[in-house]
Parts: sequence; C-alpha cells; structure tokens
Amino acid sequence: MTIDTALLLSVFAQLASPDVLLMLCVGVLGGIFLGALPGLSATMGIALLIPVTFGMQPVAALVLLSAIYAAAVYGGSITAILIHTPGTPASAATAMDGYQMTLRGQGLKALGTSTLCSVIGGMVSVVALLLLAPPLAQISLRFSAPEYFLIAVFGLTIIGSLSSGAMAKGLSAGLLGLLISLVGVDVMTAYPRFTFGVAELENGISLIPAMIGLFSISQVMIQAEKLHNAKLHSSDVPKLEGSLFPSRAEWRKLRGTISRSSIIGVLVGCLPGAGGDVASWVAYNEAKRNAKNPDDFGKGEIEGLAAAETSNNAVTGGAMIPLLTLGIPGSAATAVMLGGLYIHGLQPGHELFTVNAHIVYAIIVGLLLANMLMGIVGLALAKQVVKVASVPFAILAPIIVVLSVVGSYTINNSMFDVYVMTAFGLLGYLMRKTGFSTAAIVLAMILGAMAELGFRQSLVMSKGNLLGYYFDRPFSLLIMGLILLALLSPLLLRWKRKRALRVLQSS
Amino acid sequence: MKIIKTVGMLACISLPLMLTASVSADNYPDRPISTIIAFGAGGNTDVGARILFPAVERELGVPLNIINRPGGGGWVGWTQLLNASNNGYTLGYINTPNLITGYMDPQYRRNVNLDDFDLIANHVTDYGVISINKNETRYSNIDELVAYAQSNTLTASTTGANGDDHIAMLKMNHHYDTRFVPVHTTGTAEQRAAIQGGHVDVNFSNVGDTNMAHRSGDLKIIAIMAPERSEFIPDVPTLDELGYPGVISWSARGIAAPKGIDPDSLARLEAAFIAGMQDPEHLAKMAEMGLKVDIRTGEDYRAMLEEEEQGVRSLSDLLGW
Repeated sequence: MTIDTALLLSVFAQLASPDVLLMLCVGVLGGIFLGALPGLSATMGIALLIPVTFGMQPVAALVLLSAIYAAAVYGGSITAILIHTPGTPASAATAMDGYQMTLRGQGLKALGTSTLCSVIGGMVSVVALLLLAPPLAQISLRFSAPEYFLIAVFGLTIIGSLSSGAMAKGLSAGLLGLLISLVGVDVMTAYPRFTFGVAELENGISLIPAMIGLFSISQVMIQAEKLHNAKLHSSDVPKLEGSLFPSRAEWRKLRGTISRSSIIGVLVGCLPGAGGDVASWVAYNEAKRNAKNPDDFGKGEIEGLAAAETSNNAVTGGAMIPLLTLGIPGSAATAVMLGGLYIHGLQPGHELFTVNAHIVYAIIVGLLLANMLMGIVGLALAKQVVKVASVPFAILAPIIVVLSVVGSYTINNSMFDVYVMTAFGLLGYLMRKTGFSTAAIVLAMILGAMAELGFRQSLVMSKGNLLGYYFDRPFSLLIMGLILLALLSPLLLRWKRKRALRVLQSS
Repeated sequence: MKIIKTVGMLACISLPLMLTASVSADNYPDRPISTIIAFGAGGNTDVGARILFPAVERELGVPLNIINRPGGGGWVGWTQLLNASNNGYTLGYINTPNLITGYMDPQYRRNVNLDDFDLIANHVTDYGVISINKNETRYSNIDELVAYAQSNTLTASTTGANGDDHIAMLKMNHHYDTRFVPVHTTGTAEQRAAIQGGHVDVNFSNVGDTNMAHRSGDLKIIAIMAPERSEFIPDVPTLDELGYPGVISWSARGIAAPKGIDPDSLARLEAAFIAGMQDPEHLAKMAEMGLKVDIRTGEDYRAMLEEEEQGVRSLSDLLGW
C-alpha cells in the first residue's frame, strides 16, 4: 500500500483544527454519559445532534457523531459493572461478570479491564475499517435471512449454560424469553399477535425497559431484602481496594479472548441485521466455550467481562464499514449517521474514498483518536467513578429506581414502557429468588425476534426448497458447523473425561 | 419558607388558568407547540422534521417541540394525536400509506378515518421505484422483468407488510399477472442488503432510499412508479412511459392536527408551514437526502389522501381483507 503524503497531511491538518478537537472531546464525554444512563442511547444522542451539526464542517460534525457512538457503547459498561444496570443492551453480557467482580471488591479492576478492552476492540475495528473495508463490506452482503437465522440459533446455544448447573431452569427461562419475543405485529402478515388491542404492544415488548426491569429493579429488590434481613448498614458495601489493571497472568489469559472477541465484533458489526447486543453474547459464549474454567463464568470471571466489552466496541468500527462503502448502515446508530452524511453532501460508496478521501479518512482517524481519548478519560475517571459502588445502598437504591423509571420512559416517551419495566422487575426478582436466569430471557428476547424474522424470510426466499437453499450457501454451512460444534463439544468433552477416568480406574 | 411555598402553589394553580385563558386565535400561538412524530428519533420522518422546523419556528415565533412516539407502525403516535386536545398546541406527522392501511385493515378494528384529522400541509412525497441487482442477467429492463415474472415466481423485498412497497408489488401482480411474492424486511438497510447481495430477485422501494445507490451503480433502478420522472434519477423512466399504466406508488408525510381546531389557527399554521417548507436551506438539505418536498394543503392534500384510500380499497381482496 502506498501512502499518499498529501492526503495524510490533509487528514492531520483537518483533525488538528480546534473545532474538530473540541467536537472530539464533547463527543467522547457526552457519549460516555449517554451510554452510562439507561434509556439514553447513542442513537438518540446522534439523532438530536444532527440538526446542530448543520452549520459545522463535515469532518467536525461526523467526528462528533462517531465519537458519541463509540463512547456510548463503552459508557454502557460502567453502570453495568458498578450497579448491575446495563446502560445499553450491548452491555447486558458485561453485567454478568462485571457486577460480580464489583461485589468481590474488584470494581476498579473491572472498570480498568472494561476500559482497556473497549479501547482495544474499538481500535481493532477502526483499523479494519481503514484497511479492510471493501472486502468486509462484500462479505457482509453475502449474509442474508438464512445466515441471520443461524447466527441467532448459534447465540441461543448459550442459554442452556446460563443458569450454572440447572440446565432445565436455563432452558425454561430462555423459552419464556422466546415467547415474549412473539408479542407484536407479525412482520410477514401484519397480524397483531398477543397485543390485546394495545397499540404499544404492536412493536413487541420493548427490550430496554424489560432489560432494566430484569437487571436493575430485581437487583434493587434483592439488595433491599438483604439489607432488611441482616440489618446490615454501610458495612455491606464492597471494598474498593485492588488495582486498576489486570495482573500479568490475567493479561496472558485474556489475550486469546480479546483477539477472538475483536474479530467477532467487527464481523457482527458489518452485518446490517445484527449489532452490539448480539456480538457481546456471541463473544461471551465463545469465551466461555474456550475457557479452562467455564464454570466460573457468571461468577466474576474477568474473561467474560473482557469478551463482552471487547466485542461490543469492535462493533462500532465494523458497523461503519457497510455504512461508508455501501450506504447500508450496520446498526441503529449508524442508520442515523447516514442522514448526517447525506446532509453534509457526502455520498457513501466509491466516491467517498476517492473524491472525498480527505474527509472520510479524517473521520476514520478521528474515530481512532476518539477511542484513545475514551480510554484516557475512562482510566482517569475510574477511581472516582468506582466510588458509586461504595455509596450506601439506602442512598443508591432510590437513585437506581429513579434512573430506571426515567430511562424506561425516555426510550419511546411512553408511560407504558415504565409499566413494562416494573412488571419485568417483579418477574426478575421472582426468577432470581428461585434460581432462574434473567440473562437468558434478555438473550432470548434479542435473538428470538432475529431468528423468527430470518427463518420466515428465508422460507419465502427459498421458493419451496428450504433445505437445498440452506445447504447451498457457504456462510450458512459454516454457521451450521459452528452450531454443531457448540452443541457437541460439551458432550465430547464429558465423554473424553469419562473415558480417561475409566482408563485411570482400570489401571 | 412558608411564603415561598404559597407563591409556588399560587403559580401552580394560576399558570394553567392563564394558559387556558390565552387560547384564543388572536394571539395564537403564544407558547410552544408539541409535534408528535410516530417514528423514532433519527428516522426519515424525524430527520425531515428536524430540518424543517427551524424555518417554521421563525414563522410562528414559538418553538415546535418534537415528541417521538414510535410503535405499532405509527399508530401509537397517531392514537395519542387523536386523543390530544384540538387547541392547536398538539400537532403530528401523518404518514401514508401506514395511516390509511392501519385504519382500513379489519384485523386492527380501528374506528378512525380521515375526518378525524384537520389536515395542515403535506411535506414530502417519496415515489416508489423498482430496482434489480447490478449484475442481474435474467432481465435488464421492465419488459423483460414483467415477462419473466409472468412465468416464474420472483421474490421481492419490501419495507413491511401493508406498506407502500407491498401495495405497489400487489398492484403489479393485479394489473400485469406477475408472480412477485413479498419478502418483508424491517427497514431500508436490510432491504438494500437483500437486493445488493442478490438474495431477492427484485426490490420495491422508494426514491429517497435508493437514488444514491442507483447513481453510484450499486443497484439498478429500472422504473419509477410516479406520474413523472424524478429530479434525483432523471434517467429512470416512469412505468406509464414504459407502457405499464395504472401502478403509481408513494409514501407521503405531512402535518395534521386533531379534528376541530380553530379555523383561524389552522390558517395561521398552514401559512407558517408553507413558508417554512419554501425556505431555501430546508429545500437544499432535503434535496441532499434525495427527498422530494411536495407542498400540498387544503383540498389538494385531502384529495391525495383519498386517492390513496381508494387505491388500497381496490386491493382489499389481494390484501386478504
């Protein structure tokens, strides 16, 4: 690859201008804030800011929008780790192990790991965007309904293991989630299913209010109960000691997970039909499957946290690949950004990388800088932010409840969603008291709708020859192979272990 | 403390009274107007509104606050609009054909029709187009496509059941005996990926979301389902020109109020929206997005919606109603 010096100089000249640097800082700080608060999302922030960017230079405007996007995905992990309140659906998997680490007094390390992993995932994805955009965009076009169905099924294979040890409970929680995902208008026939004449239910049960209820409200109720029973006071607060960074041994363990999760994130990000919420669970699943100690996942395993956080930030650059090369956004937030590109007279496609190369490369390098800045801000603030976990619960609980209500309302400006959140809060409490996994419901809600849509679409697309259609597509075959591997590997492992045991006994 | 409380309470009581007292057409509007958008922030309707509103706000002298109420294919927002007071301080965007199919589809048992709204002004009309994969070899123009589709089942991507793309596809089947079957997607991104990746045989979409891809050669638009050619894709002939009359398709969106708004206020709003829509900056930004600003008011706007109603009614058998 030849490096065009003039282009390079122009890129840095544009980025060095004060308004671009200002927008970079505003975007990163604003994005972290938007992401951390449940109910406020990057998508919403970008949508509200697009009219504000009319008067700006295109580079400043798009650096602002993309910095918000990247930083919000990271910001979602902070509240997930510290108070079990994922700021975005992409951080639901983060809450699994992140919050357990906080309870064990490793909150600082969890924040540090999450920050570093987010930065690494984000940077890898930007590098992929810089160097591999055209081929990756072509790959993303090879994915359609059958592949989306299979990816969703692949993701669903994790459900069985989400309630550690109690397979039947995990599966039944997953089934409940799938059942919930059936509510709403049937995409193929427009029939309103299980809506009982309530217009709010026609788009289905909103994921974010349900997730806030299942994770945050149930957590508040469980903590409150503990506090009441044990008459514990401030002494119940987790300690804050420990280092910000993972130890050298932990780093060595994380290397594989981080690389794998980065790749998963970039690839899932490229796909218009799947985003950070899907990527984080797929990466979590893969990390667990490849781990030496899969049973520790969900109990504060640093690898689980790293997998989720690396992959959801790797989605950000990945989602911009089809956006910039094909004009097909890879996620909800980038769909809004597409409007921003058009308004500034930037047409995605070949022309963007030739005629407007100086602008698009400035935006991409700007995103790289945004990721670095996000890391610096995150690490600098971690020691202050972590104190949230040491706030006495009696003070913290009402704040979490208020945030949950406001967040649920804000998503669709809907009181109905607040009722949904409350109902799911109660459901979550009862489930956790009886050992059912709330994460399994969230996972099934995310993937159930995707699986159904993909399968129904592929039924039409196959024109009657469904099996032939699925077996004729290379990526579909590949994912089927992965699903088989995921399903059979625990059985194979058990069989091997048993045989080894028998050999040992007989000798 | 006590004094502050009393003053506060007085303010709480008297403020709404003052506001109600001031609802007279003479000084309308004298406070911010809420505008319900029945789709999410960042969607096409929302972005269009956010581009338009600064110019309208200059005309009216008060802010227009956007309230996004997505859900139910627009019906969560429209139900809220219909239930709102008709004092002129709650307006909303109405989108066709979702609004019309939504109250005509018997599955939903909605007791609503056009008379429940006071129409203010249409904002954008986005005509339908038929496009194919850039490397398609089986057909390269509309004659070949129709001939092929008369003897073969072809999959067609749309942006949703009962939407304008779906209805256009049914109209083609109805008039020209084609055998298109719909693959409904959840939005433009998914739809574009389906046709550009060659996963569906043909794509029914709109000028606004396909014109740039056509100009950059990522897909090929072979016909526009409009009375005349589009300024954004002047090389694309209309279906009528090509010898296939009777299939016109569009999605349109405009501003409406709940029925019964004061006639003077309505006239004031109408004038402000017309002036705002003619603002050069607004027109330029909408053109960048490939969206056709199509200002229609009064009877003209109503006639357009009634024509849509008529078109849907003639297809009710095909829609299974």
